[in-house]
Amino acid sequence: MKFSIAWRLGLILVMVGLLGTGLTGYFAYQASREQLVKSSEERLQTATHVLMRQVTVALNDVKADVRLIAQHPQAPRILQRSNPGFQSLSEDNVAKIFEGMMSVHPEYFQIRLIEADNHGMERIRVDRGMGGLLRIPEREMQEKGHYPYVFETLRLPPGSIYVSRAMINHETGAHAGEGRPALHVAAPVYDVRRHAIGLIVINVDLQGLFAQLAADLPPELKLYLANRRGDYLIHPDPARSFAFDRGQEARVQDEFPALAAMLDTQPRVEMHLVATNRPGDAEPLVAAFDEKPIPEMEGDDAFILGLSQPLSSVVSESRQLASITLGIVLSFSALTVLLAILLARALIRPLRQIVTEVRRFTQDGEIGTLPTSRKDEIGELAHSINRMEQQIRQQIDDLQQQREALDHLASHDSLTGLPNRRMFLERLEHALARAKRQESQLQLIFIDLDDFKDINDTHGHAAGDAVLQTEAQRLRGLLRETDIAARLGGDEFVILFEGAWSEEVIEHMKHKIRSALTAPIPYRDIELQSGGSIGISRYPQDGGTASSLIATADHAMYRSKADKA
Amino acid sequence: MLSVALLLALTALPASATQPVLRVLAWPGYADPEVVLSFEQQHHVRVELTVVTSDATLWDKVSAHNQDYDVFAVNVAELQRYLARNLVQPLQPANIPNTQLQLARFSDLSAIPGLIHNGKTYAIPYTYSQMGLIYDRKQFRTPPRSIDALWDPRYRGKVIAYDGGTHNFSLAAQALHLASPFHIAPGDLPRAAEKLIALRRNVLGFYTQPDESAQLFLRHGAALMFANYGKQQVHLLKQAGADIGYVIPQEGALAWLDCWALTRNGRETRLAHAWIDHLLGPQASRYLVERQGLSNTLSDDRDSRPNGRPVWLEPPEDTALRERLWARIRSGDRLSRVLAP
Repeated sequence: MKFSIAWRLGLILVMVGLLGTGLTGYFAYQASREQLVKSSEERLQTATHVLMRQVTVALNDVKADVRLIAQHPQAPRILQRSNPGFQSLSEDNVAKIFEGMMSVHPEYFQIRLIEADNHGMERIRVDRGMGGLLRIPEREMQEKGHYPYVFETLRLPPGSIYVSRAMINHETGAHAGEGRPALHVAAPVYDVRRHAIGLIVINVDLQGLFAQLAADLPPELKLYLANRRGDYLIHPDPARSFAFDRGQEARVQDEFPALAAMLDTQPRVEMHLVATNRPGDAEPLVAAFDEKPIPEMEGDDAFILGLSQPLSSVVSESRQLASITLGIVLSFSALTVLLAILLARALIRPLRQIVTEVRRFTQDGEIGTLPTSRKDEIGELAHSINRMEQQIRQQIDDLQQQREALDHLASHDSLTGLPNRRMFLERLEHALARAKRQESQLQLIFIDLDDFKDINDTHGHAAGDAVLQTEAQRLRGLLRETDIAARLGGDEFVILFEGAWSEEVIEHMKHKIRSALTAPIPYRDIELQSGGSIGISRYPQDGGTASSLIATADHAMYRSKADKA
Repeated sequence: MLSVALLLALTALPASATQPVLRVLAWPGYADPEVVLSFEQQHHVRVELTVVTSDATLWDKVSAHNQDYDVFAVNVAELQRYLARNLVQPLQPANIPNTQLQLARFSDLSAIPGLIHNGKTYAIPYTYSQMGLIYDRKQFRTPPRSIDALWDPRYRGKVIAYDGGTHNFSLAAQALHLASPFHIAPGDLPRAAEKLIALRRNVLGFYTQPDESAQLFLRHGAALMFANYGKQQVHLLKQAGADIGYVIPQEGALAWLDCWALTRNGRETRLAHAWIDHLLGPQASRYLVERQGLSNTLSDDRDSRPNGRPVWLEPPEDTALRERLWARIRSGDRLSRVLAP
C-alpha cells in the first residue's frame, strides 16, 4: 500500500516507455525493411538496365562488325571474281579479317561471306572449332540460299542489318556452333550498282555473349533471356532454355505471372518491371525484367532480359536489420525502465515527506519541514498543507477561548464578576476534601447586604446594581489569593477562607468586612449607604458538608441581622 | 511474405508430388489447350505435352528416351519401325470406349494394315490428311497438276517445302516416277538426293511447323507450298485471308493416318488409355476439324474425304539413311558431300 502509487506510476511510465520504444522500433523496422526490399529491387532493376544496355551495345558491335566487313572493298570483288589473278589472295585476306575478328570476339561462332548467286553458296567461311579457328576449304562450302538469314538479308533495303531470332543452330558442319543457341547477324554486300550480290553473316554464340556480359554479376543473381513470345532462351535451369526447340513450352510469363501483361502489350516498346515468381515454385524469387524491341530482328522480335535474386537473400538483410532494431529497442527499454524508476522515486519522495508530516500533525499537532521551496504542484501542495495547518491551529485556539469564556460565564456572576453559587459549591467541595485530607480548617463567612431592598426601591435597580458591584469589589479587595468570594444570589455573598483561624483573626476579619461594606457608595451625584450582616461557620466544628457549613453560616447571619434590628 | 510463400510451398508440394503426370508426344494442333485442360480436370492429373514437328524428332525421342513418355501420335507407316524395335506396347481397345463412335473404316482395326501385330493392337487411328499442294490463286492461272511444279524454275524462290527427310525422299521418288516412293533402290538414291538438292535450290525456304509455313508463305508472297500437314495449313492460311487453292497432284498425294500408341516403358498405361479415349471424344474431334482443319475419325463429311489418289505412307526402306542424307541436303551440301559416307 505504501509503495503502490510509486509502483503504479513506475509501471505506467515503464509501460508507456516500452510501448513507445516498441512501436518506434517496429515501425522503423517496417519502413526500413520496405526500403531494403525496394532498394534491392532498384538494384536489380539497375543491374538489368545496365545489362540490357550492354546487350544493346554488344549487339551494335556485332552489327558494326558485320557492316564493316560487308562494306570492305574486297568483299564485292571476291564475289564478282573481278580479278582472277588475285582471287585467292583476296579471299585469304578477307579470311584473315574474319579470323582476327573472331579471335577478338570469342562469342562469334562463325563468320561467312555468302554469295547471292549459286543458291547462296558460301565463299569464305571461318568456324570456331574445338582446337581453334578453322578456315573451311572450298569443297566443304554449302549452299545457304534457302535459309532466312540469306533470303531475308538479300531482300533488305540498303543500309539495313538482319538479325535472326535466337535459335538452335541445326545446320550440319557448323563445328562449335552446331546444336548451340545462336543469333545470325547479317548485312548485304553490294556491287557498284547497289545490287545485293552477297552477304556477310556472323553467327553469334548467344550463351557465350550473355555469359560474358553477366560475368561481373554477383553470384546470387540469375540471368534470364526470353523472346517476344516469352520462350526462355537462357534460364538458370538449362532444361528450360530453348524448350520450344525440343517441342516443349517453358515461358517466362508462366514462371513470373506479372510478365503476361508486358508480353501482351502492343506495339512493342521498351518496358521494365519487377516481378516475383509463382508461389509454390521452388524458391521464392524477386526479379526485374526489361524488354527491348530489336527492330532489325526477324518478325519484330524482342529481347526480354531478367535478373532474379532469391527473396531469402533480400530478406536476410532485413533479418539482420530486425536483430539490430531489436537490440536497440531492448537497450532503450532497459533505459526506460531505469528512468521510470528514478522518475517515480523523485516524484514520490516529496509526496512521502508531505504524508509523513501530515501524519505527524494529526498525531502530535506539530508539523515539520515541508517541501515548500519547490515551484511545482508538490510545492503548491506543501504550501496548501501549511496554510491549512495554520487555519486549523487558529480555529482550535478560538474554540479554546470560546470554551473558556463559556466556562467563566457558567461559573461567574455576570454583574459582579464574582464566582456564582455553582462554582462556589464546587470549590467548597474541593476545599472540604483537601481540608479533610490535610486535617486543616475552613472558615465560611455568609454576608447579606443591609438595606439593599430600600436602595433598590428608592433609587432604582441601577443603583442596586451599583451597590452590588461596589460591595463585591470591596470584598474582593479583602481576600488573599487562596480565598474565594462568591455571590450566591440577590444581596447574599459568601467568602471561604482556608487555614486554621483563631477567634481573634475571625473577629478581626468580621470587623474588616463590616467596615468595608458600610463605607458610603457614590452613585451619580449622591452617596448611598449600605452595610452587611455577617454569619460564620467553621470546619470541622460546624459540620463536615458544604450544605451544613452554608446552613450554619446562614443561620448565624440571620441571628446577627436579628440582633442588629 | 516469406512465411506466406513457405506456407504456399508446403501446401502446394504434396499436391503436385502426388498428382500423376501423363507425358504426351503430339504433333502441332493435336492436343488443343482446352482439350488438355478438360482432361487434366477430369482425371486430376497434369499433362506434360511435347510437340514434335518431324518424324525424325519423334523417333529420336521415343527411341532414346522411351521411359520419358507415355503416349504418342505416330503415323501408321512410322509405327512399323517402332514395332520392329519393340518401342511400343499393346493397348486394350476395350478400355477406349469412344472407339465405338469412330467410323467403321477406322474402328475396324484389322482392315488397316500395320495396327495389329501378332494379334495385339498397337495403335488407335486419330486423324489423317494428304500432303497436297497449296498454291496462290493469283500466281497460278490454273491449279498446278503435278508435283513437278515444285521444281519449276518459274517459281524459283517462291516455293516453300517441308523440312523432313522421309517425306521429302518419297516426294523425290514420286517426282522421279520410281516404282514406289517408299522403296528407293540404293542405285536410285543419288538421283533422289540430287532431286532434293534441286528442290532446295528452287525453294525460298523450308518449314517445320504449320504456323511457320503460313507466315513464310504470306510474308514472301510465295506461289506454291508442299503441305506436309495438309488441310491444317490450308485452314491457317485461309484464316489469315490468303487467296489460295489446295490441290492433290496427279502423282497422288502422300497420305498419312496418325494414331495414338503407347511407349514400351511408359508408366501411366491406364491414364494413357483415358487420354486416347478423351481425344476420340466429341469435343476433341470437333476442335480437330474446326480449329485445325484436320480430319477426325468420327465424322465423314465430303470435305474431309481424301480426294484424288491417296498414297498411304508406308515404312520406307531406310528412314535413318533418308534423315541423315536430308540433314546434309538441308544444310546446303553439294551432292558429293551429301553422298559421302
